[in-house]
Amino acid sequence: MKRRDLIRGSVLAGAAAALRPSLAAAQSVAQQPSELTPAQSGVDASKDLAAPGWKPLFLDEHQNETLIVLSDLIIPATDTPGAKEALVNRYIDLVLAAETPETQRTFLNSLGYVDGESMRRFKAAFRYLSREDQDILLHGLAYPRIGGGWAGDTGAVADPGHGHFEALKGRIMSAYYSSQIGEKELGWDGAFAHGPYQGCEHPEGDHK
Amino acid sequence: MAQDPLQTTYDAVVVGSGATGGWAAKQLGEAGLKVALLEAGRAVSPKEFTEHMPSYKLKYRDHSPEVVRTRPVQKQCYACMEYNYEWFVNDLENPYSTPPGKPFTWQRLRILGGRSLVWGRQSYRLSDNDFKAAGRDGYGDDWPIGYADLAPYYDIVERYVGISGATEGNEMLPDGQFLPPMKMSCGEVQLRARVKAKFGHTVTIGRTAILTQNHNGRLACHYCGPCERGCSTFSYFSSPFTTVKDALASGNCTLFTNAVVSHVDMDTEPNKTRGVTYVDRLTRQVKEVRGKAVILCAQALESTRILLNSSTREYPNGLANSGGALGHYLMDHVVGAGASGRLPEFKTLPNANEPERPNGIYVPRFRNTPSSKRHSRFIRGYGYQGGAEAGFNFSAEGYGASLKKAVKEGEYGISLGAFGESLARWDNYIEIDRDLKDAWGIPALRISMTHGDNEAALMEDAGATAAEMLEAAGAKDIRVQAGVEMPGMAIHELGTARMGNDPKKSVLNAFNQAHDVKNLFVMDGASFVSSACQNPTLTMMALTVRACDHLIGRFRKGEI
Repeated sequence: MKRRDLIRGSVLAGAAAALRPSLAAAQSVAQQPSELTPAQSGVDASKDLAAPGWKPLFLDEHQNETLIVLSDLIIPATDTPGAKEALVNRYIDLVLAAETPETQRTFLNSLGYVDGESMRRFKAAFRYLSREDQDILLHGLAYPRIGGGWAGDTGAVADPGHGHFEALKGRIMSAYYSSQIGEKELGWDGAFAHGPYQGCEHPEGDHK
Repeated sequence: MAQDPLQTTYDAVVVGSGATGGWAAKQLGEAGLKVALLEAGRAVSPKEFTEHMPSYKLKYRDHSPEVVRTRPVQKQCYACMEYNYEWFVNDLENPYSTPPGKPFTWQRLRILGGRSLVWGRQSYRLSDNDFKAAGRDGYGDDWPIGYADLAPYYDIVERYVGISGATEGNEMLPDGQFLPPMKMSCGEVQLRARVKAKFGHTVTIGRTAILTQNHNGRLACHYCGPCERGCSTFSYFSSPFTTVKDALASGNCTLFTNAVVSHVDMDTEPNKTRGVTYVDRLTRQVKEVRGKAVILCAQALESTRILLNSSTREYPNGLANSGGALGHYLMDHVVGAGASGRLPEFKTLPNANEPERPNGIYVPRFRNTPSSKRHSRFIRGYGYQGGAEAGFNFSAEGYGASLKKAVKEGEYGISLGAFGESLARWDNYIEIDRDLKDAWGIPALRISMTHGDNEAALMEDAGATAAEMLEAAGAKDIRVQAGVEMPGMAIHELGTARMGNDPKKSVLNAFNQAHDVKNLFVMDGASFVSSACQNPTLTMMALTVRACDHLIGRFRKGEI
């Protein structure tokens, strides 16, 4: 039996012991399935995004393909799967479809900024650039800009490109690390309990 | 459930089944009194606990538009999630209003157990530095009780609930009946040692209503983390699986779920209540439950709302309000200040498979104590909650394979956040909004509250002082917050039906009994005279057990 099953077993035994008949009866009368969240009803939506015939709800085809390319650059497959395998674009599309028009517009503006820079500098949309040019473009956006420095001015300067990059990266990271692939990437073994919290066991003043 | 409640006159009608209502039902039921326990929401089952469900099984991974649509206020609390939002009230059905420029967030659950299902579980005693604060610094009013009055009841509650914690002998934070404390991390141990050495202040592990060993038929914590989604081993204290269960087992308690109480009913005999009226949440039928005593445990603002909605010819401004204090002196701990940073000297590799400790550290109040000089810019003080641990570095810069690597390399973070005393002020108050009703036709509240200059000064000091402490602990990249969050954010609403010896200035006496209506009690946070800065639920429960003790005595003497 896996550790997780062990916990679940003890959980149900504990629940049964805790509920005397009077309370259990009251609960069965009052239980309204419609008043449970999908999660509380046991709905598992983890396979929804991989459904055959998936189509975007919000993004158009070009935007969706651009997002796939961008997410694959930001979190690539290495010795572990990356954002493309985690279907990050599909999750972002799902969330955006339910967002306010303002949030939708903000996202499209950031995605459009990347294409705009690509058109300005390379005369082609971002998804059609060579990998080398995509990297040149992204490196210019990925880090905050400061002043020139020759005149002693090294302060931050207005940098909309970095802001758009960070907004897109934030959504991609959030989508990736909340996916099943992302949880595995962080090393989670799938169990919910790993014994009591041990805390610091070092002698006072020596935490190495 | 009773089929015809009017055929029965209960000894006591308890309104609300949360932390205090559960205690009242248990205490009175076990003493042999016949109790009706009314809960506005439905019953709850362990089958709906979701603490062991990974977020990738949620359709929106906690960004559900349904939560945004139906819980725009409730979702301001971290605990209202795609997992469990149905436990929280639907804001569309449960409106309240605030004056322009005075926002207030009101977090509510209507379900058996109320907020005890999702509470933060931190459990601290108040001391005479709190109960008698007005006598020391001249602001406000002292409580009509002192620490010695409540200490035996703190003992009872702690022994039953199971509070894990460490004894410290701190003058501001009395020790209690503790289960073994949870352990501190390396960073926390270092913070504790250096803050003691440099400032003389105490850093202790959080005192929390979570079991560190099997206790009273409940299992020790298995350190899975997200208590607010329920606990399959019942390791944190919530009333449905403890006090309410005991009350029902006594054979003397009848549970009415879906009973939305609208008002208290008065008897033909003057200054005496005969029970309450409620609206069935599902059928909208209006019903009455009769009792020799009525005990409101509905949550501070809800209990006072019921009294304000129970006006009579004698009490045109709310029941039991001859003195005029009902609704006034609303408090909620001030939050919004603290500091965070990195402890680069510690191991940074985070491990997704480490046990998750559902608890932090606590720094008891150290300003304006008997052994410290008076602060020049504010009265009272604040305590810190916080923690230090290795975590994944989701704010790593750049992109690509190096980003993936940096996330996993992680960083060792440390933070402290303050909870400050909210001074009791007459002009922070609730009233009935005559133009606004909830989905059951019950007039809704208008809440008027702001934090004042003293609260702002507390937070300014708390931000800078937290930075000093983190610096002493060896933290780098320290960031300071020194703001004031909107009232309600601490979710520690207190006051509006305060205790006191003077009926002209208070609503309740020292036993949570209405001055004006002797068989009417309010046993929740509404009764607080001052807020102190400690998390209040433990004190609410101790006050309830003490008040019930008194009530049982009066029943036995035939006075009720």
